[in-house]
Amino acid sequence: MLREPGLLAAIAVLWGALLLFVLYPALRVALYPKVHDYGAILSDPRYGRALVHSLTMLGLSTASATGLGLLFALATTRRDLPLRRLFSAVSLLPLFSPPFVVAFGYIMLFGRNGLVTHGIFGVRTNILGWNGLWLAQTVSFFPVAAVAIRDVLETIPPSFERAARNLGASRLRVFTTVTLPLASGGIVSAALLVAILVLADFGNPILIAGDYSVLATEAWLRVQGWADVRGAAALSFVLMLPSLLLFIAQRAWAKGKAYVTIGGKASSMETEPAARPAKVFLVAACSAVSLLVILIYASLAAGSLVEGWGFDWRPTLRWFTGLGTQWIDLLHSLLFSLFAAFGSALLAMASAYLVRERSMPFARAADAIAMLPAALPGIFIGIGYSIAFNRPPLDLYGTALVIALALGAWNLSTAYQTGLESLKQVSPTIGEAASNLGATTMRIFRDIHLPLMKGPFASAFFVGFIRSITTLSVIVFLQTASNTVATFSIMNLVNDGFYGKASALSVALLALAFAAVGSGRLALGRDTRSLA
Amino acid sequence: MTYLEIAHATKSFGSLRALDDVSLGAAKGCFLTLLGPSGCGKTTLLRSIAGLQGLDSGEIRIEGRTAGEGGSRAVMVFQDYALFPHMDVRRNISYGLVLRKENKSLIERKVEETLSYLGIAGLGDRLPSQLSGGQQQRVALARALIVEPEVLLLDEPLSNLDAKLRLGIRSELKRIQQDLGVTTVYVTHDQAEALALSDLVAVMERGKVVQVGTPRDIYFRPAGAFVADFVGTANLFDALVLEAGEREGRLSAWGRIWRVGGGLPESLAGHNALFCARPESLGLGDPGDPDSIPGVIEQKMFEGSHVRYWVDTGAFTFVVDEAASLSDYELKTPVSVGFRSAAPHVVSTRGSAGGRDE
Repeated sequence: MLREPGLLAAIAVLWGALLLFVLYPALRVALYPKVHDYGAILSDPRYGRALVHSLTMLGLSTASATGLGLLFALATTRRDLPLRRLFSAVSLLPLFSPPFVVAFGYIMLFGRNGLVTHGIFGVRTNILGWNGLWLAQTVSFFPVAAVAIRDVLETIPPSFERAARNLGASRLRVFTTVTLPLASGGIVSAALLVAILVLADFGNPILIAGDYSVLATEAWLRVQGWADVRGAAALSFVLMLPSLLLFIAQRAWAKGKAYVTIGGKASSMETEPAARPAKVFLVAACSAVSLLVILIYASLAAGSLVEGWGFDWRPTLRWFTGLGTQWIDLLHSLLFSLFAAFGSALLAMASAYLVRERSMPFARAADAIAMLPAALPGIFIGIGYSIAFNRPPLDLYGTALVIALALGAWNLSTAYQTGLESLKQVSPTIGEAASNLGATTMRIFRDIHLPLMKGPFASAFFVGFIRSITTLSVIVFLQTASNTVATFSIMNLVNDGFYGKASALSVALLALAFAAVGSGRLALGRDTRSLA
Repeated sequence: MTYLEIAHATKSFGSLRALDDVSLGAAKGCFLTLLGPSGCGKTTLLRSIAGLQGLDSGEIRIEGRTAGEGGSRAVMVFQDYALFPHMDVRRNISYGLVLRKENKSLIERKVEETLSYLGIAGLGDRLPSQLSGGQQQRVALARALIVEPEVLLLDEPLSNLDAKLRLGIRSELKRIQQDLGVTTVYVTHDQAEALALSDLVAVMERGKVVQVGTPRDIYFRPAGAFVADFVGTANLFDALVLEAGEREGRLSAWGRIWRVGGGLPESLAGHNALFCARPESLGLGDPGDPDSIPGVIEQKMFEGSHVRYWVDTGAFTFVVDEAASLSDYELKTPVSVGFRSAAPHVVSTRGSAGGRDE
């Protein structure tokens, strides 16, 4: 290794980046507040309440989103179920949208001027509170559970269910004694993933929680209302602890509980047909949820095209033409996200390669730091960046760069995991074969690993871009008048009641996100994914 | 003259001694097989010859020069083929030559030659994922052969193929090896492959080579119970040698006298020994034969060319193969077990009287 100066330099740069951009801001959040800041937080009943609220929503929304995710996963893995393609498409939609879009759509449907509440039933209700938040979080996060559980269900060979049926078990019994136990590891793992997202959720509560404050929004209000950064940091730190615990639990669980299905070749056998009542139930439940999701997105689109939502239904384009500075915000979103996605994908692939293939010094520590952002709530990273880089030599406060860097750090873990997973699929003998034919390590990197990491790099780039362009929590603490991004601006428009403009900007943002999804699919579709 | 020479090779992984003072040699053009159960060190030895890992002590030389130094001259075909998934067949095969900076037209010519030599001429533009297992196998072989290695290393190359294909590729492998005359080291746990392909077989157990010999030696004259048992089916039993004559011998076992062929070492007379008899060296006869061991047919299996019988003699169960066209005994038929021809092979002389089950 010492004979390769390039490698040495790469490792030094990587370690520098991990320490400076991930570990340092995180430590700053923990160490910035004084002891009495923590004391003040803990003794103030306001924050005790917020903590209870956060944990209540954690329980409620995690349970409902995971349950709904399981239903969708079951519905979309059964080939004989009608509408399964629709369900699968609908369950992807919220994955690519800003988290608060659901809350916003919910206001459009059920709010004071809501299409359903006011428009159809003629009532004006106050929908702000825990119940609206519960629904919004459920709809926002069930897709995460659905995807995770579907992945597990697909690894269960249909022959297992066939075998159980053949031994005389009823369909219900097959489900409760074979399918569910085999999927249980995946379901718990999905629930833990959802729990981390619910805990960190900022967009939904800021829009519709009203007085039902949670830790994430309290941290933000602490800065907004009292300019108390220390207090906000202390709150963020308190919020981070359960998140970190959930994350560690999830990792440990995923490692220990993964069922390795014993058996030979993966069969292409058709799944067992579901029992009729089960089918009816699945289709009915998924249809209802799909209808709600579609209504939410449709109301956003419609809201951008009418004069006044709820009272003046004349069509207009003026919300789009009236977007002025907001176009600049959208451009900011685009640029920052591109930078963040590219940077995090690059750093992540380098880390994955050096950690896995080149046994770099302290590889385990590097691995832990690269995985850390996955455990950190968005506002934690945001506040970390706002206090870590606000003085010389790295005074970046208020710059575009600090936003882009924070977004990049926030995306590092998912990108890193993508890189690691794809390297794991490359058999170590492939590198050995090249070495055996006379290739140097540099040559193996250039000829084998670099080309094989193009696919994961692209995939990490697109995922990072979509995450960055749709996040609100990471950027709220870093916004200044000169570098506002679209999600922040939508939040302000909604809070000020400018629903027309807010929906127009949301539609534009969604268009950008979906364009990224589309081009990502195009780019990756051609890439052969069979790396083993 | 020894072309490939392994001298006192020793390698440990933690507390596990993967190679324990292994010494072996093979002449140029020899097909040497390392045979043993998993974990016996055969793959470790192969990887050491390839230069993929170093030894703790000892040395591996090819034509007198230490292996692994200055570019490997022993090229390996991996068990999982290790084809580069993002390169088409042509680029996979040419990789070794490109690394050697051969000129372009030469590379192109050699690639085409190799492709057609291995019968995969039409597949040059395919990606590995678009090939069947057998085709991937050929590409892996082509990638190794094209660089004209001094030693070709094959790591269980047939284990990922289905049974029918395996037999076809096995004979083709033998043909190619003889045709090119390339010195080959082959690793397998399948004794049938080892016997069929090799000029020389080295049986390994727990990091040591326990016997080196021709397939015939290994099979009929195993050096120990482990080899006898691991290579093929063996009837292993202890007996007292009563007579060791030139023409015939007599053994005493299970309280009976057993007449066998000549050829037992005279020094054995009066001693106990552990014997190995292959199922096809034994034959079934009349239950009344005074020179054989009586028993009854306990189990039988028809295997096409022969029938395998398990004969219960009370103290010991013999496995006996009879040509299918010659006999068809029913279960429970009383028979006797005798020797078809020569004396059984003496595995060791430290045995005590009485039988032992496999």
